[in-house]
Amino acid sequence: MIRFEGVSRRYGEQVAVDRVTLEVPRGSICVLLGESGSGKSTLMRMVNRLVEPSAGRVLVDGRDVAGAEPEALRRGIGYVIQSVGLFPHWRVGDNIATVPRLLGWDAARVARRVDVLLDLVGLDAALFRDRFPHELSGGQAQRVGLARALAADPPLLLMDEPFSALDPGTRRGLQSALREIHAETGKTILFVTHDVEEALTLADTLAVLDQGRLVAQGSSASLLQEAEKGPVRRIFGKESLAFHRLATLPASSLARPEDARQDLPMLPADASLKQALMLMLAEGSACLAIPAEGAFPGGTLHWADLVAPR
Amino acid sequence: MEPQPVAVLHATERREASAAPREATAVAVLTALAALAPFLLGFLSVAPNRLLSPRLVPLPVTTATTLCLGLFLVACLAVMLLARRAPLLNWAEAAAALALCSLVAVIGLAAREALQGASPVARAAPAAGLWVAMLLLALAAGCCAAGRSGTPRNFMALSVLGLAVLWAAGALADLSLAREAMARGGEIRLAFWQHLALAGGALFLALAVALPLSLLALRRSRVEALLMAVANGFQVIPSIALFGLLMGPLAALAAWAPALRGWGIGGIGPAPAVLGISTYLLLPLASAFLAGLRVASPAVIDAARGQGLTEGAILRQLRLPLGLGVMAGGVRVAAVQAIGLATLAALIGGGGLGALVFQGIGQLATDLILLGVLPVVALSLLADGGCAALQAALERRR
Amino acid sequence: MILLLGNLLLFLVALAAAPRLGWLWQALFPGISRPVWDSQSWFALLAEHLMLALGATLIAALIGLSAAILATRPAGRALRPLLDSMFSLAQAVPPIAAIALALPLMGFGAAPTLLALVLYAALPVMRSAVAGLDAVPAAVLDAARGTGMGPGRILAQIELPLALPVIQAGLRVALVLAIATTAVGAVAGARCLGTPIVTGLANGNLSWVLQGAVFTAWLAVIADQALRLGLDPERRRSNGRLAPAR
Ligand SMILES: Nc1ncnc2c1ncn2[C@@H]1O[C@H](COP(=O)(O)OP(=O)(O)O)[C@@H](O)[C@H]1O
Ligand SMILES: [Mg+2]
Repeated sequence: MIRFEGVSRRYGEQVAVDRVTLEVPRGSICVLLGESGSGKSTLMRMVNRLVEPSAGRVLVDGRDVAGAEPEALRRGIGYVIQSVGLFPHWRVGDNIATVPRLLGWDAARVARRVDVLLDLVGLDAALFRDRFPHELSGGQAQRVGLARALAADPPLLLMDEPFSALDPGTRRGLQSALREIHAETGKTILFVTHDVEEALTLADTLAVLDQGRLVAQGSSASLLQEAEKGPVRRIFGKESLAFHRLATLPASSLARPEDARQDLPMLPADASLKQALMLMLAEGSACLAIPAEGAFPGGTLHWADLVAPR
Repeated sequence: MEPQPVAVLHATERREASAAPREATAVAVLTALAALAPFLLGFLSVAPNRLLSPRLVPLPVTTATTLCLGLFLVACLAVMLLARRAPLLNWAEAAAALALCSLVAVIGLAAREALQGASPVARAAPAAGLWVAMLLLALAAGCCAAGRSGTPRNFMALSVLGLAVLWAAGALADLSLAREAMARGGEIRLAFWQHLALAGGALFLALAVALPLSLLALRRSRVEALLMAVANGFQVIPSIALFGLLMGPLAALAAWAPALRGWGIGGIGPAPAVLGISTYLLLPLASAFLAGLRVASPAVIDAARGQGLTEGAILRQLRLPLGLGVMAGGVRVAAVQAIGLATLAALIGGGGLGALVFQGIGQLATDLILLGVLPVVALSLLADGGCAALQAALERRR
Repeated sequence: MILLLGNLLLFLVALAAAPRLGWLWQALFPGISRPVWDSQSWFALLAEHLMLALGATLIAALIGLSAAILATRPAGRALRPLLDSMFSLAQAVPPIAAIALALPLMGFGAAPTLLALVLYAALPVMRSAVAGLDAVPAAVLDAARGTGMGPGRILAQIELPLALPVIQAGLRVALVLAIATTAVGAVAGARCLGTPIVTGLANGNLSWVLQGAVFTAWLAVIADQALRLGLDPERRRSNGRLAPAR
């Protein structure tokens, strides 16, 4: 869906993005992870030509974006930013209707679409349609921002740290909303964040940027396995690396094939080791029972196996 | 297959890469126009006497005028080149001052040439091109200073210095403005001091009202609302109307207590002017004082109270020292406004430099008008620069 | 609104009544032989005053707004220092000085006043418009560009509406300034409500001065009131625009 081919961007002496080559497959969520100033936003903004590359090219659907008319290109790509950027003098409905109106949809179709979208992002249309942005909480505003980006049903969504300014609870709510929307609509999403947890929660593929260079890419699991050295290890956090790894492994992989005891806390078969650890801590139990499901015959997960060196 | 990197160089990037400050373009255009203006609009005009209208004459060519003209053009070029490097903007200002002074020297020398052998009542004056060039040079110097959001102090100081040297050397003596100034020396000096007294008196009066009221308003929001409403309300009333409105009551006051006339209080004279001007100064002063007194944040004040400082000590040791810079900014605005407003005092018999202006308007005499206007402009710039320096010093001390 | 209309009505009635109030002026200024201003009709003076002030403000608003829009575009950045420089220079030259300097070039009448009016009224409009356009949050502009709005549409639909309250405040300052400067223009031969003041001062007729002063001040107050109407804080908050000059 998106291909970066040897893309660089310089600002005077400074190299914000340095020869990045990256492919984002259609229908996947690709998370750009990196510290502040590592060039994530710059790289993303080259997709909808808010930034032009100094060298290299960006292809969307196989076509070089440099050949597209910027405004038309952007109307076909959803764009969500951290500070939301809702137009403060327009009501929520008008904000969401921005792109459909630019595309010349008729009023009735726009109105229907606004209601559908508010529903999709989990806001009551009747309650929120006519509010002004300053009458929304941070989380509600970002839901509206997401709805605005989805308004004309673009196949591609660019999201630049969209949840970073929200409190943890709201952030988790929006993350799961985004996952649901992704499952429902199958959009291709390029998602920028500096938050490792968020990246691991959302990513189908991860791309790690450091000082403008792409230092690692692949699935979360493969990245965590290889992250023994250099910038990736630093970005993930040395101490939490093992913890993050647990999130990428299924709990059933370490289960002993014992008959599950009925008095133990139950863990679903598709849970990760991280969830297993949290359940152990929460229940104060060193063993968990995992019921049989599909090919997995059922078993018991032991604390000792969890912490054993692998 | 290895992707072909496509090199794209964009306009934005090129601008970021070059070192020229954003002032460069404006300075270059203004200076180029300044260099052209005298050639397009004329250098010198000569009139047979003070009352007949002047005609443009070609610039007399002598070694001295040619040299000065060359210096002017070189200085203009220097301004344009120096402004291309941000650290050299101060030098560009200095070059602009040099250009201005050499242009004035050109015209002073040319005037002497042109009047040689003419009747003693003949007058030589700078033509429009010269005035335009000087205005453009001042604007260019202002652009150089715009980056550090200040007045072009170097330009002003060097120009004044250069012009003083030219004056002392007698190079300007044959310009009609200089002759007029010479003939009216005493009158101008008197008007100047009157002007200062009007502006200073009004500033003092407004300070005496605004300071205590601001201190009171700090604690009583009712007083603050009233003070700001009154100060804002006065801004709406045109000054000429306010002076007119004050004349009646003050005339009545003087009629009722004739002793007051000895103090200069009456319907005609400086009293309504000073009173009127000071009402306009209330807003800049009061709003700056209130803002200054609030520079010390509530948290700091709270901590001070918690340690047992009295309100008086908080005022002296926290609010005033922290807010002095902001307060000086208000005085700066007020001082400049006072000097400008005092020009109108002459209308109601208050004297000052406005008297020369209005006399010049009556006679349609450009020189007389300039003799009134130029000192007003100089005074404003001086007051602005002086207060700015004071403000900077106070803010540095913080 | 009602206050404004009432004030306006009262003003017009007072203008009509002034020539018929000879007894009042006589009582106030017993020493003056011709206390009633009858050289021109007050309405003619008002009309000329308004034409000058409003016309100049309109031209100035167009100039100031265009300059501000230009200066806030990437291509017009070079204009910024010039505008700043002009603003601080104009601060040092009182409007009366500008009128006086234009007088020998343009002759007696409304022309020098009009020139000074346009010059001086353009500055507050420009200043406030630059401030208002600058204050539009960068995130809003980024989002607008990201949704595929073109520069013209962003200016018309996002930037100008958001900057409007600040621009309006500048416009109010400009109009009040224009009305005051027009009155001063009477000195240079512009016919307006300032004419009786200047004529009265020249002839020692305090009655004319008072009448001219009252009507000039009154007009300025009405103009201020009218332009404040659009700046109702309640309305401003409810449509979420930026507050002026914070
Ligand atoms: N318009 C710009 N002009 C100059 N430098 C910029 C510009 N945009 C970004 N940069 C620089 O490029 C680097 C990468 O920025 P950015 O892509 O915003 O980082 P991130 O989004 O990862 O925090 C930073 O060092 C930043 O200072
Ligand atoms: Mg960023």
